Amino acid sequence: MRATGGPEIAVGDVLLSVEAVSLSFGGVKAVSDVSFDIRKGEIRAIIGPNGAGKTSMLNIINGFYHPQHGRITFKGATRSRMRPHEAARGGIARTFQNVALFKGMTALDNIMAGRTLKMHANLFWQMLRVGPALKEEIEHRHRVEEIIDFLKIQDIRRVPVARLPYGLQKRVELGRALAMEPELLLLDEPMAGMNLEEKEDMSRFVLDVNDHFGTTVALIEHDMGVVMDLSDRVVVLDHGIKIADGTPDEVKNNQAVIDAYLGVAH
Amino acid sequence: MASRAAGVPETFPKLLIRNAHLYGSRPAMRHKDLGIWQSWTWGEALEIVRAYAVGLSRMGLKRGDTIAIVGANRPKLYWSVTAAQMLGAIPVPVYADAVAEELSFVLAHADVRFAAVEDQEQVDKIISVKDRLPKLERMVYDETRGLRDYDHSQLTSIADVIEEGRKALASDPAVGKWLEAEIEAGKGSDTSIILYTSGTTGTSKGVMLTNERSIRAAADTVAFDKLNERDIALAYLPIAWVGDHYLNYAQGMVAAFCTACPENADTAMADLREIGPSFYFAPPRTLELLLTRMTIRMHDAGYLKRKMFDYFIGVARRYGERILNGQPVPLMGRLLYAIGNVLVYAPLKNVLGFSRVRVAYTAGEAIGPDLFAFYRSIGLNLKQLYGQTEAFLYVTAQPDGEIYSDTVGPACPNVDIRIEDTGEVLFKSPGMFTGYFKDAAKTAEVMTPDGYVKTGDAGFFDEKTGHLKIIDRAKDVGKLNDGTLFPPKYIENKLKFYPNIREAVAFGDKHDFVCVMLNIDLTAVSSWAERNNVVYGSYQELAGHALVYDMIEKHVAEVNRSLAQEKLMAGAQIRRFLILHKELDADDGELTRTQKVRRGFIAERYAPLIAALYDGSKEADISTEVTFEDGRKGVLSARVKIRDMAPVAAPALEKAA
Repeated sequence: MRATGGPEIAVGDVLLSVEAVSLSFGGVKAVSDVSFDIRKGEIRAIIGPNGAGKTSMLNIINGFYHPQHGRITFKGATRSRMRPHEAARGGIARTFQNVALFKGMTALDNIMAGRTLKMHANLFWQMLRVGPALKEEIEHRHRVEEIIDFLKIQDIRRVPVARLPYGLQKRVELGRALAMEPELLLLDEPMAGMNLEEKEDMSRFVLDVNDHFGTTVALIEHDMGVVMDLSDRVVVLDHGIKIADGTPDEVKNNQAVIDAYLGVAH
Repeated sequence: MASRAAGVPETFPKLLIRNAHLYGSRPAMRHKDLGIWQSWTWGEALEIVRAYAVGLSRMGLKRGDTIAIVGANRPKLYWSVTAAQMLGAIPVPVYADAVAEELSFVLAHADVRFAAVEDQEQVDKIISVKDRLPKLERMVYDETRGLRDYDHSQLTSIADVIEEGRKALASDPAVGKWLEAEIEAGKGSDTSIILYTSGTTGTSKGVMLTNERSIRAAADTVAFDKLNERDIALAYLPIAWVGDHYLNYAQGMVAAFCTACPENADTAMADLREIGPSFYFAPPRTLELLLTRMTIRMHDAGYLKRKMFDYFIGVARRYGERILNGQPVPLMGRLLYAIGNVLVYAPLKNVLGFSRVRVAYTAGEAIGPDLFAFYRSIGLNLKQLYGQTEAFLYVTAQPDGEIYSDTVGPACPNVDIRIEDTGEVLFKSPGMFTGYFKDAAKTAEVMTPDGYVKTGDAGFFDEKTGHLKIIDRAKDVGKLNDGTLFPPKYIENKLKFYPNIREAVAFGDKHDFVCVMLNIDLTAVSSWAERNNVVYGSYQELAGHALVYDMIEKHVAEVNRSLAQEKLMAGAQIRRFLILHKELDADDGELTRTQKVRRGFIAERYAPLIAALYDGSKEADISTEVTFEDGRKGVLSARVKIRDMAPVAAPALEKAA
């Protein structure tokens, strides 16, 4: 079951492309004239020093920010403005730099919340929890259980997320994004603040999501080791400008990238 | 019961067939998957195992081959054991958390040609040491996740193997006949399994057990504890451990009870509650952990609940055990206990998943008397047993109603025990092993010419009760320089009874006095730290905190007071102690896979600390290599503080004398 709408795109073809996009807040240019694409089935990393415009770029992709210039084409449909819920319906899911879960709800309920868009029974039936709503809930619960199994969080199913350690909260958030069965998964610093072991677990999950569900992943990450190991292609931003784009090896040896990260004598 | 034992088939595959005939529609196996308990009846289990066996034989598994079983408690891995046995192949279970190094040793030593593994993690581990396993031809796996893109020329999913066998059985009746003949050809005297010991002493050895001996031993204890097909047990302990193979596999087959597999290792506690087993085994460590968690949660409870809990636990301590043992109890006591049962004990047992437990065992190491008494006082029929892999577990067990916390019970039915002049315990039992795999020299070392097996444990029969008492490993009991007896475990166990102390290692043999190294229990101490406004950033920082030292010092002083009460032990009081900066870990070789302290190894590894304990210094530096879960290594350095303890004067013994 995949998110509906738009034509089917074959693996390796362009799923999303960003063309000459610029975004500014008043006089501050967050992103200027950036173009790149994301191909179906790949893991695409967006990296750059602090304030490079990475999160802004992600927010543009999922429709939270509206760029002043440029075009975004997702699954063949070009648009300049899109609202976040339209993006969600279109098959884009994301996680946040700072975990954004419903703290008082259990891990299970949080992930179930990710299925909301896929529920069709009306509010009346859902409140009664009988008839079509019950049948639907059982189906969705089955999908959610598969995700719980996939992320190995069976033991925290019934635990309110506020009581979970940070690394596990991140995992629940990933679960909620996966519950949407997205075509494109945007991860904003999925390993930030994690210890080595948690990072390795999370990397494994990202790879498995990509492999198992065939989900296209775009991720922002600071840990260079993680980026180089995980991603198929990397785009590098600095001060809102794209300075490099290519495979991890190409990017690693790019002089502009080295200068941006290490600084350069003026 | 006796008639059932007498009529028991001589091999496990034949037992499975018997169970399918007698109890075809009763559950044989349960497994929680995707949040729902799935179950298989004995009839279904037989169908699956037959198909699986045919599938395995098509891959080349044949009589006499060995097949490794690596993973957590899962139905498909238990079926792998029986399917291999159907073909006359010998299953070799390996601890799932063994690092690649240990795994390759066992797999190479056992000459395995095949391996049935749980998931990608185990597949990766085996592939990483593949060059050391020239005989390994093929792996079959249960969990498909992450393995899709692997080279499948030597890798098959268990589901596919079963499916292939199923097709072959359906399309050609000759295949079924051939399988019947294979099962029929299996003899009771065939080796049914090789269990590798956890390696308390040196490298692990492969203990060979046979079908008939295993079944005979299991039949004895099934009768002893009156287990039957209506019982259910939760299989949550390592599949490679003799306890799991005995309690769940062998007894499950003989009594035809249902074995339930938890969702995963971390959910075992919750699954226990859902399943409500009637037969339960837990090592003392697990029982301790449960009690610690419970105590912590009671600290957070409201005033009224806390008072009620404390009061009725007091009542239980006074009368509970006597009621369970059927001893006389005053009417008032019975009344109070009945009220306590409604208000506290029953709900408590329900939360722990013990509501339906008829028989519970604990073994592996000495259990704190208070800990033991606690569970018995709330009405859990907890008993102790003593055994080892070489005996196929049971040597002694406590019969219902004859329970003493400091004994392990009389010899089991048909078991013969002899105590050597050195104090070492020897036994001869129906389930005893036939030898170590490919190691006749070691076999000869432990087996006496008249057929007894040396346990390596020192013990004696208690005069009052006639039960066996185990003091320590025969070779571990030492002496201080002044000649005072020094049984390290005895002292360690006294310390470990405190919830704040997770592990203790005592030193004193050939020294002037006793010193200990301690591990704090992170769960208990962090909760204590929260209540006492102690700020810390890591385990290391908490362990070295002065207030933590003060608290632990009080515990050590109490232990010293209790040692001072005993004439023989007064001289073995703890004079100095330190809290280690890291938790002792099996991955670093400091504990065995069954979580027993490897004292000799620790003494070597922490030699600078031990030197400091005895040279009077106030602190010492130590840096140790640690192994992470993925096998990489790092170095951990710390400065560890040492505290002095004033010995407690022995009470006036002269008065008594």
